[in-house]
Amino acid sequence: MIIAERKPLDEIKDMVRGYKRVLNVGCGGCTSICLAGGQKEVNTLNADLKKALGAEDVHLEIDGFVIERQCNYDFFEALDEKAGNYDAILSMACGVGVQFVAERYPETPVFPALNTVFCGADRDIGWFEESCRTCGECVLAETGGICPVTRCAKGLFNGPCGGTRLDGTCEVDKDTPCAWYEIYKRLKAQGRLENILKIKPPRQWENQTRRSLVQEDYKQRYIG
Amino acid sequence: MPDQEKKPVDTAAIASMLKKKEPEMKRVLNYCLRCSICAESCFLYMAHDGDPQYMPSYKVINSLGKLYKKKGNVDREFLEGIKGLVWRNCVLCHRCYCPIGIDIPRMIDFTRSICRSEGVYPEQDGGESWL
Amino acid sequence: MKSGSNLEKILTAGHFAFTGEVGPPRGANVEAVREKAKHLKGMVDMANMTDNQTAMVRMSSWAGSLILLDEGIEPNYQMVCRDRNRIAMQSDILGAYAHGIRNILCLSGDHQQFGDHPKSKGVYDVDSIQLISIVKKMRDEGTFLGGDELNGVPKMFIGAAANPFGEPVEWRVHRLAKKVAAGADFIQTQCIFNMERMREWVHQANDMGLTEKVYILAGVTPMKSVGMAKYMKNNVPGMDVPDEIIKRLQGVEKKKVADEGIKIACEQIEEFKEMKGIAGVHLMPIEWEHRVPEIAERAKMLPRPKV
Repeated sequence: MIIAERKPLDEIKDMVRGYKRVLNVGCGGCTSICLAGGQKEVNTLNADLKKALGAEDVHLEIDGFVIERQCNYDFFEALDEKAGNYDAILSMACGVGVQFVAERYPETPVFPALNTVFCGADRDIGWFEESCRTCGECVLAETGGICPVTRCAKGLFNGPCGGTRLDGTCEVDKDTPCAWYEIYKRLKAQGRLENILKIKPPRQWENQTRRSLVQEDYKQRYIG
Repeated sequence: MPDQEKKPVDTAAIASMLKKKEPEMKRVLNYCLRCSICAESCFLYMAHDGDPQYMPSYKVINSLGKLYKKKGNVDREFLEGIKGLVWRNCVLCHRCYCPIGIDIPRMIDFTRSICRSEGVYPEQDGGESWL
Repeated sequence: MKSGSNLEKILTAGHFAFTGEVGPPRGANVEAVREKAKHLKGMVDMANMTDNQTAMVRMSSWAGSLILLDEGIEPNYQMVCRDRNRIAMQSDILGAYAHGIRNILCLSGDHQQFGDHPKSKGVYDVDSIQLISIVKKMRDEGTFLGGDELNGVPKMFIGAAANPFGEPVEWRVHRLAKKVAAGADFIQTQCIFNMERMREWVHQANDMGLTEKVYILAGVTPMKSVGMAKYMKNNVPGMDVPDEIIKRLQGVEKKKVADEGIKIACEQIEEFKEMKGIAGVHLMPIEWEHRVPEIAERAKMLPRPKV
């Protein structure tokens, strides 16, 4: 899932200041689940903004609205009816949603209320951990299901580096386990250390230009 | 919203939302043949060993269908009651297949909008971690 | 000869190598480099020029290396993976070789978080082992990593670092093996203080036949003070400083601590001279270049052989 967090209020305030009518659009997808941009967070942000701008004697007319997903135009119908009535739109989706909204309503300024932080898993309610950098060439088969791109501070493919602390933690943070020590332990336990005895050659980075993907079964439909 | 939770449901607002989509809804509710072909196209239905509560047609008929029959004349308890059907039981993946072309996710989406307009939506930080 | 560098000649002739290290200045002060170099001249077979060590911005290592050359000292051009991608790396290698640099040390590099620009974007396009293989490919196959032929081949003597310490301890020798397989000609180790662990690691390397394929230079750093020893133990990741070293330094009167540090270093060097699988010593006198002649003398490393 995509994990996001709300931007500092002052930053959002500066974006919307100067617009009379603003629509804050929440997203019912990932940002609802990570407690950053769902209906509840839309209501909270609107109240916070009104209060903060009110303190500066600025009157802001701000409404909230949530669509089920901002990354799919199938869910935009109800928003289409409303969007035209506002001077600016604030989006509480991830960066994907913000761009999709901006593309849909090119006449209207669209602002991000969130910082999209990572692709991660729920460790517990409100606690998320990054686990994938969407590099486009997964090596988890060889590394015991532990991602060196995400979890090694240097993204090494032939780790561990010489900076591993004596207790097996990472040089950049004594509370973070060295990813390569973790990889080593898991592969050793599974009897698969030969995986990392081989030299992993320089990789061909697939994420250097914008990617688009059409699944094999749909190629005829879109590409011919 | 805590304030909204205490307020009675605005049935007129719901009725007007329903009214706007009346032709489409009529089509859905009249043309659904209960053929259950949609069932096997739903991964949640398959994952729940064929629990009918996950059948796409069931989800629409028992949420939006009921809302429509009651012409929006429902209370908060009703909306809370269908919440599970339209959120927990459907992830809006758009993969369900209807041989007569009913857009089921669109109907679920619409039902969610009605719920949201009355402040009924899943709490992601409470006991309802089922989404 | 792979490169014909002085270090390569010393090692292939069977001499026990002695290399030093210079940290370039945090500015364009040429004199600072020349000053440090003067203390090393004639004392070492080659001196490393560090590459923005601890991620603090400094004069670039190839530029510093050229100043060393000018001062009559053979440089070991350090290159880290943190700051440049494979295009810049290959380009810099060609430029360095064109100006007479013959040794290169391939390193991952300290993470940018440690330096004075902690939120800079780390590159890490390739890792140190991959960098070794790139330099080897350029030298031995005469092509870039991308496969195109080079117009003029950089004949570098390829170095790599090794850390016998830190978890997973039993994997460290296998990582050394990967560096050898990638094409390292010589290894300079992390500063060694835990001799027991070092002996074990070298023993493993001997058993695996690695020391027949690569020259290992043991890293030695003289402790200047008790504070430095404690700092290294507690604050430098990957550094293994046993308590005995600290106790020994604490056991002498204050003005003799530095002398005791040099004494420990000399004892280590004596042991390394006799240790099977060790081809030399890499001396890293941190901001103590002016004491190198004294250390070289006391460690009986002088005069350096002419090859």
